[in-house]
Amino acid sequence: MATLSHVFRQDNQQVFVLHTYPFKETSLVVELFSREHGRIAMVAKGARRPRSAMRGMLQSFQPLIGAWSGKLELKTLHSLEWGSGLLLLQGEALMCGFYLNELLLRLLPREDPHQALFDFYGQTLKTLSASFQHAPTLRRFELRLLQELGYAVPLVHDEQEDDIHPEKTYSYFAERGACSDHSGYANRNGVQLIGKTLQDMAQDDYSDPLTQLQSKQLMRMLLAYYLGDKPLHTRQLLIDLQQF
Amino acid sequence: MKNPQALDQLVESLRCLPGVGPKSALRMAYHLLQRDRPGADRLANSIQNALQIVSHCQLCNNLSEQSICSLCSSDNRDTSLLCVVEMPTDLMMLEQTHSFQGLYFVLMGRLSPLDGIGPKEIHLEKLIRRAKDGTVREVILATNYTVEGEATAHYINELLSARGLRVSRIARGLPMGGEIENVDSGTLAQAIMERRSL
Repeated sequence: MATLSHVFRQDNQQVFVLHTYPFKETSLVVELFSREHGRIAMVAKGARRPRSAMRGMLQSFQPLIGAWSGKLELKTLHSLEWGSGLLLLQGEALMCGFYLNELLLRLLPREDPHQALFDFYGQTLKTLSASFQHAPTLRRFELRLLQELGYAVPLVHDEQEDDIHPEKTYSYFAERGACSDHSGYANRNGVQLIGKTLQDMAQDDYSDPLTQLQSKQLMRMLLAYYLGDKPLHTRQLLIDLQQF
Repeated sequence: MKNPQALDQLVESLRCLPGVGPKSALRMAYHLLQRDRPGADRLANSIQNALQIVSHCQLCNNLSEQSICSLCSSDNRDTSLLCVVEMPTDLMMLEQTHSFQGLYFVLMGRLSPLDGIGPKEIHLEKLIRRAKDGTVREVILATNYTVEGEATAHYINELLSARGLRVSRIARGLPMGGEIENVDSGTLAQAIMERRSL
């Protein structure tokens, strides 16, 4: 029996809180992103009681160390501690953080470990908390997320396996890549961009304003393709806030 | 056996309460109809009554029986200070401190991007109208120090600062009588980062 419970119990796990939902009178369901186990859902019993030790800790964007057990989809969270270094996301960066979390909640399958993505997510939060230019940070994360999930985003070759030419205009399609204007897909609604944008993205260089604009359009189209019909709440919220 | 239609309807209605599933709803319905009919009558009347009388105060957005609540119409308050809180319970807590003499605005929620709760749900338009009445000099943001509360405070600040209002945020850090030895490291780290000069 002891060995069994040992198998189902996980201690000392690096995690981030992605989101929490109220559950019953005093508990929470917590969506965690853990380094070793990917995205997992668990019940934090009594976490909404005023004196719960976990209450203040169940905040997004903080590196935490957690312990849980359970063999079903919904685990039981036993404890949480502060991990290494506190991150202070403020203002715009906070909204960017919500956006990252929404992407992870929507695209990451449950219990599918993505250690590299976990580390990159932590790194991205750190960058967000320290800088004012968030757009390149978000583009990098979006691209990395799709790549880690196994979706190909070819940036150095076009659809015909030819090298991308910086001055040429391409139409970019999900699952297909860059098509030069003369191919048969040109009149379907792909994202129009120049070769340099793709080269810049491949080299992780977002300094050119045109690259920033076109990479944003490209990533938006690709994400919309993989997210399906349901729009992103965070984007809608920002649109709504613009109206004031 | 089929339940009477009115009973089914009652069960269905009770399920609109948070945390009440089909089983609990049925239990409540049986209790009301079998054991406590006068109680059921009182419940029905008070719900009906409250629905008719209670609405949002035109100024502070809190629930009130008058169109302007007693707090907002009081003469003893400092009308140049407006404190923004998330929920009526937050207002109650602040009132219990007896340290704030200004007026309030209750958002009745917080921005929560992942739950789809946006600016319309937290009455931002009403807040802007309220804050711009000409007598308010300073808006104090007393939303929670959760990520959602912080995001809410940030956007309210953007909206109100752009309209020329002075905006402040309640402080955070060690609790009263707080001993560094026993305080959680998150609070302590924030207290260090947001330290003030003496």
